[in-house]
Amino acid sequence: MTDVRSEGDSVGGREIAVNDGRSEHGGVPRTSIRASRGALAPGGVVGDGRYRLLAQLGVDERVGAHLWRARDGQLRRDVALTVLVGDPADVTAARGAQRTLERAAHASQFGHRNVARVLDVLSLGDGIASTEGLLGIVVAEWTKGTDLVDMIGDGPVAPATACRMLEPLAEAVDRAHNQGLVLGIDHPQRVRRSPDGTVRLVFPGPLPNGTLRDDVKALGAYLYLLLTGYWPLEHGPAAIPAAPTGKDGALQPPQSLRPEVPKELSALAARTVEDSGGGGVRTSAAFLRVLSQIAQDEEHKAYLRRTGAETEQPGYTEADGTVWTTRRPVTDAGQRKKLAFGATVLVVAAVGIIAWIGLSLISFFSDEDAAIGPDFNVAETTQQDDEDEDSDETGEGNAGSGQEPPEPSLVEIDPGHVQGYNPKGTGDHPDRAPNAIDGNPDTSWVTSQYKQQLPALKPGTGLSLTFEEPVELHKVDVLSESTGTEIEVRTADHPNSYLDSTEVLGSGEVTERETGIELDEPTTVTYVMIWITKLGGPDGAFESEINELTFYTSE
Amino acid sequence: MLPRVAPPGPPGRGDAAAEQPSPGAGEAPGDADRWETPDQAEPPSLARSAGTIAIASLISRITGFAWKVMLVWVLGIGVANDSFNVANTLPNIVYELLLGGVLASIVVPLLVRSQDDPDGGLAYTQRLLTVALTTLAAATVIAVVTAPAFTAIYVDSSTDRANSELTTAFAYLLLPQVFFYGVFALLMAILNARNVFGPPAWAPVVNNLVIMTTIGVYALVPGQISLDPVSMGDAKILTLGVGVTIGIVAQAAMLLPPLLRSGFRFRWRWGIDERMKEFGTLAAWIVGYVLVSQLGYIVTTRVLTAGAPGGMTAYYNAWLLFQLPYGVLGVSLLTAIMPRMSRAAADGDDHGLIGHLSYASRISTVTLLPIAAVMTVVGSSAGIALYSIGQGAEGAGAERLGQALAISAFGLLPYALVMLQLRVFYALKDARTPTLIMLVMTAVKVPLLYLCPVLLAPHQIVLGAMLVNSLTFVVGAFLGQVWLWARLGNLRSRRVLGVIIFTVAACALGVVAAVGAGMLVPGTLPEIVEAWISLLVQSIVGLGVSFGALAALGLEELKPVTSRVSALVRRG
Repeated sequence: MTDVRSEGDSVGGREIAVNDGRSEHGGVPRTSIRASRGALAPGGVVGDGRYRLLAQLGVDERVGAHLWRARDGQLRRDVALTVLVGDPADVTAARGAQRTLERAAHASQFGHRNVARVLDVLSLGDGIASTEGLLGIVVAEWTKGTDLVDMIGDGPVAPATACRMLEPLAEAVDRAHNQGLVLGIDHPQRVRRSPDGTVRLVFPGPLPNGTLRDDVKALGAYLYLLLTGYWPLEHGPAAIPAAPTGKDGALQPPQSLRPEVPKELSALAARTVEDSGGGGVRTSAAFLRVLSQIAQDEEHKAYLRRTGAETEQPGYTEADGTVWTTRRPVTDAGQRKKLAFGATVLVVAAVGIIAWIGLSLISFFSDEDAAIGPDFNVAETTQQDDEDEDSDETGEGNAGSGQEPPEPSLVEIDPGHVQGYNPKGTGDHPDRAPNAIDGNPDTSWVTSQYKQQLPALKPGTGLSLTFEEPVELHKVDVLSESTGTEIEVRTADHPNSYLDSTEVLGSGEVTERETGIELDEPTTVTYVMIWITKLGGPDGAFESEINELTFYTSE
Repeated sequence: MLPRVAPPGPPGRGDAAAEQPSPGAGEAPGDADRWETPDQAEPPSLARSAGTIAIASLISRITGFAWKVMLVWVLGIGVANDSFNVANTLPNIVYELLLGGVLASIVVPLLVRSQDDPDGGLAYTQRLLTVALTTLAAATVIAVVTAPAFTAIYVDSSTDRANSELTTAFAYLLLPQVFFYGVFALLMAILNARNVFGPPAWAPVVNNLVIMTTIGVYALVPGQISLDPVSMGDAKILTLGVGVTIGIVAQAAMLLPPLLRSGFRFRWRWGIDERMKEFGTLAAWIVGYVLVSQLGYIVTTRVLTAGAPGGMTAYYNAWLLFQLPYGVLGVSLLTAIMPRMSRAAADGDDHGLIGHLSYASRISTVTLLPIAAVMTVVGSSAGIALYSIGQGAEGAGAERLGQALAISAFGLLPYALVMLQLRVFYALKDARTPTLIMLVMTAVKVPLLYLCPVLLAPHQIVLGAMLVNSLTFVVGAFLGQVWLWARLGNLRSRRVLGVIIFTVAACALGVVAAVGAGMLVPGTLPEIVEAWISLLVQSIVGLGVSFGALAALGLEELKPVTSRVSALVRRG
């Protein structure tokens, strides 16, 4: 998280005061030729009185663009003004200024953190009074930071730092170019080193004839400037010495001026600035790609140096042995990743436990619900109404009718689980067993079809039910249309006990659709078998179907 | 059912073209080799068009919800509705697997980029349509032919509580939607890329109206759906299946006139655009996301169809109710923040991105938590009030639906946060982490879902499934936060947590007040009347007390909401 900075601090600490008479750096007094410039002085106002000039930070002589820090009197904030000075009667100059303003207006659509946003564009008659002697003003947001010229005054920067400073600007140029916008970064006073340590375009307003190629060349020029302290393009500010050329007029590569500059970086700067010759870097995308690659390599080298390889080129490390970077140290992200993995596992485990508790709670609360809940009763009301006369045989047969149970002390109880019960032989449709207790009389469990009546093939067949906890069972209602079926209710201490170790609790024969089997005496059970000893159905096709089983306990 | 998450496309621009026909729109240009790019000299007012779109999508959400409620009134909460719901999600799934992710991640960005082509993107669009329509047509035919296989995957008929024949019958009638879903999505993407936003936003409303009409006709057609044997020729099945499919056809057809008006002429053009290949891995991860979420969905439907009949319907409708507040909040408050977040991410402005994320999380907290708290209290009443009408009154399905909503309401905020984090990941061009998070979420979800039938009685399974679903979002929200932190550093989560704690305290007051108010409702009224009264009284009291307490605490996150409300009051 903590940025390790060395140079950054020393330079960034020198924030510019509002009025520090920086004209001696900007070189304006020496180079300006315009008479109208006299109107622009700190404290004066432009733009129909809206902007109060604070300090001139430079001048781009090519178009007479004066670069000012100013105060927006209406919104009470600082802004960066690119003031185009010229004679409105000069048609070429006026047309050029118009073009610059248009381009700046287009650029206002573009957003990048290394390009100051254009806030307004003032032209003659539209924000500028004709008496001001100005052709136009581009208003951009103000960027705190340091003048690049000042920075170079302290000497060239380390190669890795130069890459880091320039990479975001190159990115901005690349994005702008993709949208067909020229940014117009090709003057060292138009950019500044922002507090985050990167180069930012502060004074937008491209030249009327500026091209995409000019932007790319400027990127190379900045790299050259940062590495060497010389400006390799024409028309630079006087405060920065122009780059030396060889005998043939070609630019000297940075490495020849400063031997510690890596070869690739030196070549990148020279090849981007140079117009002639093969292998030139012509596009922002290419420049960005190469720069990023070098930056990564440099960072890696610096990292190796920092992590203890003191022996390796000791003279090359920066002053206090640290590396200046805008990225978070690698170890930090790695650490976080490990922590994140740990958190993932913890959360998954915690939620698993919570879910189990939650499901158990649902089951606990809704069990009571189901006992008095409407769903079972609604389903069975219709059948039971017309069987009321039958109640003498079935005793408290209509506990489920909901309206007025004859024996209110009996309540339904849900078995939690059901399975086939066939201690001798294979199961009869065990997959359909749950239908017998699902509360839906339309679904059913059915035995296999037998050619001979029981117990010819096996002694019987049936279902085994398990309650979640021991219950006092009073009565079982059987909903079935297989008349003639004889059923025993048995219990045991295991759901798959041998028939011999089960105990008969009660029995009955299916004579009506709804048959109640009263237990001989209420018994506390966990496992109950519904044991069919005689099947229903016609001769040769014996089978019994059970639509629903309902169990009753006392309240 | 499954969270329908489309990765955000390019930030929306205005839709002047939707309102005023572009110059020369009436006559097709004689030379069809160039397609005029939309006039971008004057960007239309973003606020105005965003407003119309928000209203359109709000209406389409509400009408979409309404027809599902109406369906319960005529079909009940039972096997028939379960079968319809499963079958009606199938086309969506097929489309999503085939085209959904790819469309949002590749086609839309390329559509915008292709406008810079010399022909204004005409060739690219024609090629896109040719390839996509052919694939869709083939896939639709295959899907319809293999409908029984789909049913076998999504319906667990081993317990004999589901009716897979009926599901298959509906699937045969509904699966042709795949093609029209695809056509709609493609045309919408093409129109959006050309700044036409109105018709695509209103078309789903047309679909919903057609389906509502269908449900009306269904109610008038005499007879009953015969469950055994199921017959495709059954008048009721035909009405519902064909009608709902026609809805989607109408939705797609709505977009043809605006497309033709934009000067586009279709011509068969084969081949794959070279540019599509750059997006390969991104698309692969997004398709992976869809696949993984499908796995969770398949297990959900299998567990539910194996449970008591009506479970699927209850789950589906409870989920829609659950989502409704997020949907409304999403279009009204979050749409403003989303584009800003994307822009910050695109600019590499981590600081700004974190700020927006934190703000959006806090806004979601103060608005959604009180709603979730009230939902927990009024869930059962809401279920009965909305669904216990007509066939929906049979059995206890409506109440169980409401209980499912109440049990799962706590997941509302986590759900909103998951959606928010997803946007952030996609804005950071990271499609991999969301997919991996989805994988973990599904790995949690599947075993828990299978635990439901073990621990719960068949009719309770739907409650368990909704609980598990919400818990999955809790996992997702935590993981999203943790992995965003791993990537971006300090997320200012402490502030979000502070707001959550404040809001929970305020909601606790609201819940107490709502429960108290519920006791005052007389228990002697007819069930549905009582449910409506409880729903209204408890909602008003619960929300009033919660938001009142929040306002009294002076939470600044509440300001956008209060200012909006007061603006509405002033206007009305």
